[in-house]
Amino acid sequence: MLTHDCPATLTDTEVLEFCKNGYLMLPGVVGEEINQRTLAYTNANTNHEPTEIIQEPWFRDEVLLNPAVAGAVRSLLGAHFALPNLMSSHRMETPAPAQGWHRDGGSHYTHELHYLQVFYLPQTCTDDMGPTEVLPGSHFLFATSPTMGHYGAIQGMVKTSAPAGSVFLTVYSIWHRRGASRIPSVRQLLKYNYWRTTPPTRDWRIEADFDLANAPYHLSGAPTFRPQFRDSRDSARMFFWLCGMDDKFRTMGGQGWPMPAKFEERPYGYPLAPERV
Amino acid sequence: MNGDLHGLVEECIDRLDRGALEADHLRELLAQIPRADNLVQDLLYLQCSTTSVTSQVLGVQFISGGQVQPEPDSVADFPYQSVLEAMRDGWRVVQFPNMALLLDEERTYGLGCEFILERRSNSNPQGGGTGC
Repeated sequence: MLTHDCPATLTDTEVLEFCKNGYLMLPGVVGEEINQRTLAYTNANTNHEPTEIIQEPWFRDEVLLNPAVAGAVRSLLGAHFALPNLMSSHRMETPAPAQGWHRDGGSHYTHELHYLQVFYLPQTCTDDMGPTEVLPGSHFLFATSPTMGHYGAIQGMVKTSAPAGSVFLTVYSIWHRRGASRIPSVRQLLKYNYWRTTPPTRDWRIEADFDLANAPYHLSGAPTFRPQFRDSRDSARMFFWLCGMDDKFRTMGGQGWPMPAKFEERPYGYPLAPERV
Repeated sequence: MNGDLHGLVEECIDRLDRGALEADHLRELLAQIPRADNLVQDLLYLQCSTTSVTSQVLGVQFISGGQVQPEPDSVADFPYQSVLEAMRDGWRVVQFPNMALLLDEERTYGLGCEFILERRSNSNPQGGGTGC
């Protein structure tokens, strides 16, 4: 097992956004020379699991350990995270219809984050090339893949169209699919996982004014498909777990923490409050 | 003979009253009647925010003329914004949201409140009448 450590690059706010959305896009972080080298490799090795690319020093250093990527992974998975030991290639000739919505096999429905599923785009992927589509917040939305096959357009879904060299990190259980493509192309995408090896703790970039009691835990801008305020509870629990405070997490319900609202000072029910509520 | 089916029947009745109804008139009328074996079932899946037929549609999938139809790019392009709108356009609800899957607040299942609607259309993929 190869592990790595480096400075964490994400802030409290960015970690919380990841908890809420279930994914984080890092646009164009890998250089063009490495993108071209990767494309040459995947064009020469068209099998679905070109795992040997992990052993290539240029790929390991410039893609897997790219500072922006590794810094984000370090923030979410902690020190000495384990590097991928499997590489999947989603090389696809387009145009093609949309894939069915699914969660990858092995998905757990949990607030715990023990691994990250990461996608690397060595080429620019436009809307017409069938980019991966993700449904923000769906990492908390339980469903088995066979029961999702009839879902089509969903309000709030996001196309991960991005420039060459982009990397996006996801919670493994997020709903996703290959979008419909409309033009002839060979869409290239590599997918791999990083793993946690240490217990979670809040050792990313702490913001001095970040207030856990009043932080915006609510997923905004799209429907959550969950009971009202449940998304706030889910993301708050994941954030607390990442902070190493899962044993302190509790909610009282009602209009208490972490319900999104304009409270005077602090919402009641904040679990770290010294008083009863 | 010209006109819609109702008008054509009225015309035949009139001819019958006048003693002018002939077999060809009835054959012409018959040709206007859609044959059941030429029709296929269309399906419309609508995932909504609540179990009400007036609630906002959040997800859609449309199968018409034996083909899965291209998906709308945005919510504004959804063929209907509520189940009621679809019903007004001739769709019939064949399944209401399964309440058993919605009663546990501790675990949410899929996209929640799903209605399934159907209607019959010609097997031409572009068929399917009005609306979507």
